[in-house]
Amino acid sequence: MCTTQGATPIRLKRRPIAQSIENLDQLMNLEKGRMSRDLFWDRDIYEQELERIFARCWLFVAHESQIPKAGDYVSTYMGEDNVLIVRQKDGSVKGFLNTCPHRGNKVCFADLGNARQFVCNYHGWAFGIDGGLKGMAASETYEAAGIDKSEHGLHPVAQIDSYRGLIFATLDPDAPSLAEYLGDMRYYLDAIFDMDEGGTEFIGGCVKSVIQCNWKYASENFVGDILHALWTHDSGAKAMVGGPVAEVHKTPEQSYHVNFNGHGWEFNQDIVGNCATLGEKELLKYLYVLQPKVAERLGDLRSKMIGAISSCTLFPNTSFLPGQNTFRTWHPRGPGQIELHTWTFVNKNAPQEIKDKWRKGTMMTFSPSGVFEMDDGENWEYSTRSNAGFVTRQQDLYLGLGHDTRVEDTDLPGNVFQGQINEANQRAFYQRWLDLMKSESWKNVPQRDVPKMKEGV
Amino acid sequence: MNAKTALPEIGVDAETQRRVEQFLYREARLLDNERWDDWLALMAEDIHYWMPTMENRRRADKNGTYAVDRGALYNDNLVDLTRRVTRFKQPTAWAEDPATRHAHVVAGIEVYQGEAPGEFIVHSTFVNYRSRVEKDNDLLVGRREDVLRADGDGFRLARRKIIITQSVLMAKNLNTFL
Repeated sequence: MCTTQGATPIRLKRRPIAQSIENLDQLMNLEKGRMSRDLFWDRDIYEQELERIFARCWLFVAHESQIPKAGDYVSTYMGEDNVLIVRQKDGSVKGFLNTCPHRGNKVCFADLGNARQFVCNYHGWAFGIDGGLKGMAASETYEAAGIDKSEHGLHPVAQIDSYRGLIFATLDPDAPSLAEYLGDMRYYLDAIFDMDEGGTEFIGGCVKSVIQCNWKYASENFVGDILHALWTHDSGAKAMVGGPVAEVHKTPEQSYHVNFNGHGWEFNQDIVGNCATLGEKELLKYLYVLQPKVAERLGDLRSKMIGAISSCTLFPNTSFLPGQNTFRTWHPRGPGQIELHTWTFVNKNAPQEIKDKWRKGTMMTFSPSGVFEMDDGENWEYSTRSNAGFVTRQQDLYLGLGHDTRVEDTDLPGNVFQGQINEANQRAFYQRWLDLMKSESWKNVPQRDVPKMKEGV
Repeated sequence: MNAKTALPEIGVDAETQRRVEQFLYREARLLDNERWDDWLALMAEDIHYWMPTMENRRRADKNGTYAVDRGALYNDNLVDLTRRVTRFKQPTAWAEDPATRHAHVVAGIEVYQGEAPGEFIVHSTFVNYRSRVEKDNDLLVGRREDVLRADGDGFRLARRKIIITQSVLMAKNLNTFL
């Protein structure tokens, strides 16, 4: 289990908040479903995103199962900041910037592994797995200079916590708790990450690739855009199941958009729709057998989400697909590039052959060589690159599907909209983006969404 | 980077070496020309076509750079390969239209006797360059370890392991075979 680290880490210095870009409101008119292309191109906007989105939000950093033993670590990114996420001797998890406080070099060049300490290659500064500076080569020269080692540990993340096996961290000590940040989205997260009593695990390592697109194109796609599948992924569906993508726009009564704090989930209640695209009957059988047990555990609605046609983005840049079981983070690399890290998640208690089929299924569908993802990358790259044109960039984009679909009289948590063919979640995503970009600190971020779930649940 | 090679390296006669080289050069040409069905016809029924992803691990880490149960861009049997070919052939495979221009360059071909009679272990290096529309150019360089099986006058590919140099694939997709 994770524990929150000290609320105010020593030496956490922040440069004064950059002057906010003026007139950010003019970038979008969400009521009318219009938005500017500058969001996907402008360098100044990107730099402000690094500060006000990525150095502020809770970001996914690891799954508990990736670092089971003391000293186990993964190297990942929070925005463009490289961090090490390390299991401690007491079972808690800590996170540090992967940079030596002496002269700035990386202290760990491996993607993952188990360490007793991290030693910088430059001058041999050695750090314990708790981030503390233990010693260095020729330590007597530093002692002669009067160094206080306790002041020169690896720089910790501000807060770290986990939910249902997913570990998140934030670089902002003023960020609300993870529970508050995820809010009502936790209700839906349970449908996937708590459908089975053993919880989930990541298997099969991490597949990494680069797409020349703005990070928000990827996030907005998973936050609510099932519509593209019908058109973009026709070839992939024919390859995997021999027929076209399901026409979910014809049955809006059984599907939803839900969002909270900019996180969004579009979903059907067809139990296995996403999973079916993997072309593995055994996986469908597994889900159908599991579904009644999930219904007992989490109720009918969530039991029908376990492998359904659906997708989710946790604001800002982590997404997953139930049923296909791909989990991914879109790390920003400038306004026109992302580094995509993908994993396969499975129920820990699933039989090994079921896990193996999911591992192959994610590779066949949603990996750089996958028959679905193959066509996504090109769409996002050219949605980004076309904005190089000065006049092109002045042309608004449309994001207006599903006005007047809000469901008011419902017990479902979050903001609920009827029909998964919708752009309500995308609008909520960009509203949250705008709120954060305009706010000088967390205190100024408007709390638009009223949680139905209690924080501690 | 290379996994264990259990078998002793017993060479083959010049004519077998020439025929294997010819097989691999022809295979490269079929892929350059997107002759997907002809390429599939080179596969044995029990083909294992494997391209693991590379992990940066310290040398002391016994888990190694890659493993069969870890990340992969290909970890395919014949059904999987056929599915991929089915996508390539769809008129709605948008990222294939206009067509990608491929160059599969194969070099450094070494041929040794395989485990079973009529099987050969073949090492080769490759350069793959793909160009799409105006300026999408993707370069992959790597090494392959194949098992070819004699089949009539020719061979079938029974096993292929593809090791690339990149740990982060520097491309939006991998729309070819290697």
